[in-house]
Formats: sequence, C-alpha cells, structure tokens
Amino acid sequence: MMAKLEKFLMPVANALSKNKILSAIRDGFLVTVPITIVGSIFLLISNFPVQGFLDLMTSIFGAGWDAYLGRVSAIAFDCTALLSCLGIGYCYTREQGVENKIAGGVVALVSFLIITPQRMEVVVEGAAEAAKFSGLGFTFLGTAGMFLAMIVAIISVKLFCWATKKNLVIKLPDGVPPAVMDSFASLIPAAISMTFFFVVGIIFAMTPYKYAHYFIYEILQAPLVGLGRLSGFEVIYQFLSTLFWFFGINGPAVTNTIFGPIHKALTLENYEAAAAGLEMTNIFTAGFSDFFCNFGGGGSTLGLVIMMAFLGKSNRLKNLGRLSLPAAIFGINEPIIFGLPIVLNPLMAIPFILTPCINTIIGYVATITGIMPITSGVQLPWTTPIVFSGYLVTGSVMGSIVQIVMLIVDIAIYYPFFKLLDKRYLEDESKQSDTVDELDDLSFDDLSLD
Amino acid sequence: MKIVLVFDQGLAGAGGKSNPNVGLNAAKGGIGSALMIESHFKEIGAEVVATLYCGNEYFLNNQDEVITKMTAMCKKLNPDFVVCGPCFNFPDYAKMAAMISANILSKTTVKSCAMMSKENAGVIEEYKDKTPIVIMPKKGGTGLNDSYAALCRLIYNTVNNTADLEKVKAEVCY
Repeated sequence: MMAKLEKFLMPVANALSKNKILSAIRDGFLVTVPITIVGSIFLLISNFPVQGFLDLMTSIFGAGWDAYLGRVSAIAFDCTALLSCLGIGYCYTREQGVENKIAGGVVALVSFLIITPQRMEVVVEGAAEAAKFSGLGFTFLGTAGMFLAMIVAIISVKLFCWATKKNLVIKLPDGVPPAVMDSFASLIPAAISMTFFFVVGIIFAMTPYKYAHYFIYEILQAPLVGLGRLSGFEVIYQFLSTLFWFFGINGPAVTNTIFGPIHKALTLENYEAAAAGLEMTNIFTAGFSDFFCNFGGGGSTLGLVIMMAFLGKSNRLKNLGRLSLPAAIFGINEPIIFGLPIVLNPLMAIPFILTPCINTIIGYVATITGIMPITSGVQLPWTTPIVFSGYLVTGSVMGSIVQIVMLIVDIAIYYPFFKLLDKRYLEDESKQSDTVDELDDLSFDDLSLD
Repeated sequence: MKIVLVFDQGLAGAGGKSNPNVGLNAAKGGIGSALMIESHFKEIGAEVVATLYCGNEYFLNNQDEVITKMTAMCKKLNPDFVVCGPCFNFPDYAKMAAMISANILSKTTVKSCAMMSKENAGVIEEYKDKTPIVIMPKKGGTGLNDSYAALCRLIYNTVNNTADLEKVKAEVCY
C-alpha cells in the first residue's frame, strides 16, 4: 500500500515543487518573512499583553509612544503585497534563467503600481463630498492586494523574460560598463511589461470593477481565503506536510506552494482587524500553524525526543535523544528524521502523521471554545520555543498551557511506538553482546594500515 | 551478501550538526539511516554487517587518517560491497564518501560505491571516474525510495558481475 501511495504522491510532489510559477511564489513570499518578523516585534511591544508594561512605557515616553512603533509594523504588514510582488518577480526571473533578476523584480513592482489606484478619497466628517488626493493607499498594498500581486509579478516577469530571451534588447558597443549595459538591455523588455499593464488598467477602468484589485479580490482571493476558514483546512495541510516527509520529501516545501498564500492572507487579516479595533476571526493563521500544530519540527517530535532522552533504555535511542533535544526545543528535528530514522520507517509513520493532526484539532477546539484567545497577526521565527511562542501569539498564558497539554498528548501518542522501537533496539544491543564474533571488537585503534 | 555502510554522524544517529566532531566509530549491523534502506537490501538478499562513521568536521580536520583507516577497516571486514552514502546534498559527507570509495576501489579488492545528489557537482565531477556514484535526490527531494532501489541494482549486478553491469551503471550513476 505504501508503494502505491508513493507512486501517487511522487508525481504530485514533483509537479508542485518543480513548477516554476509555484516555486517563485513560495520563495518570493519568503523574502517578506524577515520583514514581517521584525514588524511583529514592534507590534508586540506596542501591544504587549501586560497592562503594567504599557503604563510604564506611557509614563516614560508619554502618551502616543506606540505610534512610532506602529510606523514599522504598518510598513511590514500593510505593504505585504508590494514587497511580495518584488520578491516573487525576482524569484520568477531566476526560475526563467534570466540573469538580471533585480530588473525582473523591479518590473513586477512597477507593473503592480501601474494598475493600483493612484487617487484616494478621504471622507472628512461634515464635508459635503469626499476630498481627493494623489497617492497610494495601504488598502491596496497590503492583504487585499496579495493575490493580484502574485498574478502581476508572474505575468510581467514572463513578458520581461520572453522579450529578453527573444533578444529584443538595445545593444551597446563593447567597452560600455556592465551596469550601463544591463540597464539598457532591460529597457525594451521593461517597456513591454509596463505597456501591457497600462492597457490592462484601461480595460479594468471600463468595467464595473474599475480596478483589477477589486476584480481579483472578489473572484479569486476571497473564495480561496474562504477555504482557509473551513475547519478541515489546517488538518489537511498538516496531514499532507507530514505524509510527504515520511517519504523523505520536504513536506512544507510542497504544500506551502498552495497553502502558503492562504495562511499569509489569514494572518494579515487578523492583524488588520486588530489594527481597526475589530474582532479577529481567522483561526488558522501562520502563528497557529507554526506553534499549535508541531513542536520540535515536522511530525511534532519534541515529545518523542524527550522520551528518548529520559525514558530510553537502549543506548541508541537514549544517546540520539540527548543529542537531539537542544535542537528539538527550537523546532529542528533533522537528527532524528534521518538518524532514528523517521523517513521510510513504517513503524513511526502512524504517530508522525497523526500527532500534528491531533494537535491541530486540540488547538481548534481550544480556540472556538474560548479556552485560549485566537492567534493574532503576529509572526515569530518558527524556531521560537514552546511556551514562549504560545504566550506571544495569543497574548495569554492560556496559549502556553494549551501547548503544554498538546505536548503531553503528543507524548502519549508516541509512547507505544517509542516503546516498541526501544525494545527492538535493546534486543539488538543485547543480542550483539550475547553472540560474540569478530565484529564485536570492531575498533579503529588496532588496525593494520599496510 | 554482506554490506558495510559508511555514514556521517547525522545518518548514523549520532546527532546532527550539533555533533560534528565525533571520531571514527564502527558499529555492528546497520544503525541510524540503515533502516531506510533495509527493505531494499532484503530484496537482493543483502545484509548490513557493520556501519562505519565519523563526524563531518572530524573528517575535514583528519582527512588522511579517516580515509586510510576506513579503507583498512573495509579491507579487514572484507564485505561483498561497501556503500559510502547516502550523502543527500551534504557537501562534507559527499566529499568524504567519494574519497573513501575511490580509495577502497584503488587500494583493495573490495567493491564499493558512493551515493549523493547532484548539488555536489564539484565532488561528482572530480570522482565519478574513480568510483561509481549513485544518483539520489537532495534532502527533502522526491525519489528517495527509487534511488535505494537503483543502489541495490548496482550492488546486485556488481557483486554477481552480470553482463548488464555497464548498462546498469550508465542508468543509475553519474
């Protein structure tokens, strides 16, 4: 059955992880990750879940101190579409094999801005009509523009690379500095992409939507993000991610091509809701996915590693557990993925795939019943240890307590499998000490080196 | 059919990047990642008799000692085949595996191969004429199980010196 499953999964994994468009989108979003993490730190300080801290800050810096911090988090969160567009454009140029990657990224960014509304209306209380001003609005550069940014980046770069490969470039004589040469070489390809989106902008202006933003949001982004609000969404994501890992395939690298943008949109919507003083409604944010589904890496193996380190009787499990524990606390489980191993080890498949799904269900139930608050738009490095992460993404000690409960459940799920493996290794070890043969004295110290 | 495996510390289950200075070690039977390949070995009637390993940094700092002693140990154990790998895309381990396998083939009568992903292009280019290097995916890539099947085809045909050997080599190696 495993062989059949692998036969089915392999082409899917190949198609998803080697698809140039999906890889560019996945990697392009990664470009924005450090920015959102830094923005989250500023956001966390200005909204720290301890009133005493906030009062202290006000007493030192005066009222309104948080507005300065907000300037950083606003750029990190409200310009996500803009930054993603640049990142995806850059990565897709790389996938296309065109050398001038930053030119591709900038062309994507400019194309996105060309079709973005450039006049905003502000309704001033008491005024007869809305005031108009020239400028770009965060409304179109953040979450709501995310899917459009993806589409524009791909199309504009495709055109840019097509023209570049067709040699539709201005050639300068030899001896011109390379930087000047590159910028002239990009001129015609950039003009083609920019003109294309100039026309697209005009076409949309003639429709009831007026702007591509409204059109894409309504027909694509809203329905897709809506999928992320279904209760089964996160379980399916976790199940697929670990299933791929079992066959040695980096699960999230495959699944994030599809689920990544949806997670990101769900997270940003919570940030925007909180910033507007509204209730946050999305359960399956990036924070939830990172900190309430897996502890100690894919397959939520922290509980297993703790048991190996402290309950293991066989030397192999005990030693590997102790060596792996420090990394496991920070969410890294490479030593056991290949060293235990978990990859292609049928015994460990069941708990490895089951545990993250059970965690997800516990986290979901804990959120909808109000046991812990909903996870906010804050994004932390995925290496943030258990307990700290739960507190920071929910702003409540209950987040940490739910994580500890999950860890105990994880230990219970892994326990019978851990015992079986430990017993098997222990038998191996005692068998080896019972049957003495030449292989028992293997030592590099008394080798003859002729 | 007796097989000896040559691992780095990560595959041996002696810790990952946090434990790179493990010295030369030999364990009876297959340990760590050996379990991933076991079912494939069974199909060709092969059994892992010993696993030799050392940390990647230990190797980098003591290259001559590691290569000489690993080769001498393989000569002493005299298995039907030595597998230096699977190295995935780990650069130090790939270098170690290629150098050990090439040395075993040139200094002893024991048969051997290395196994790594195409990311180790430099090592592959330098050693592919000195040792067979079986193609495999990088860490987290697709086709891991298939690459183990390919490895076993190479082992089977090499040990039995079949007429298909060159054809199999062309198919499964760089």
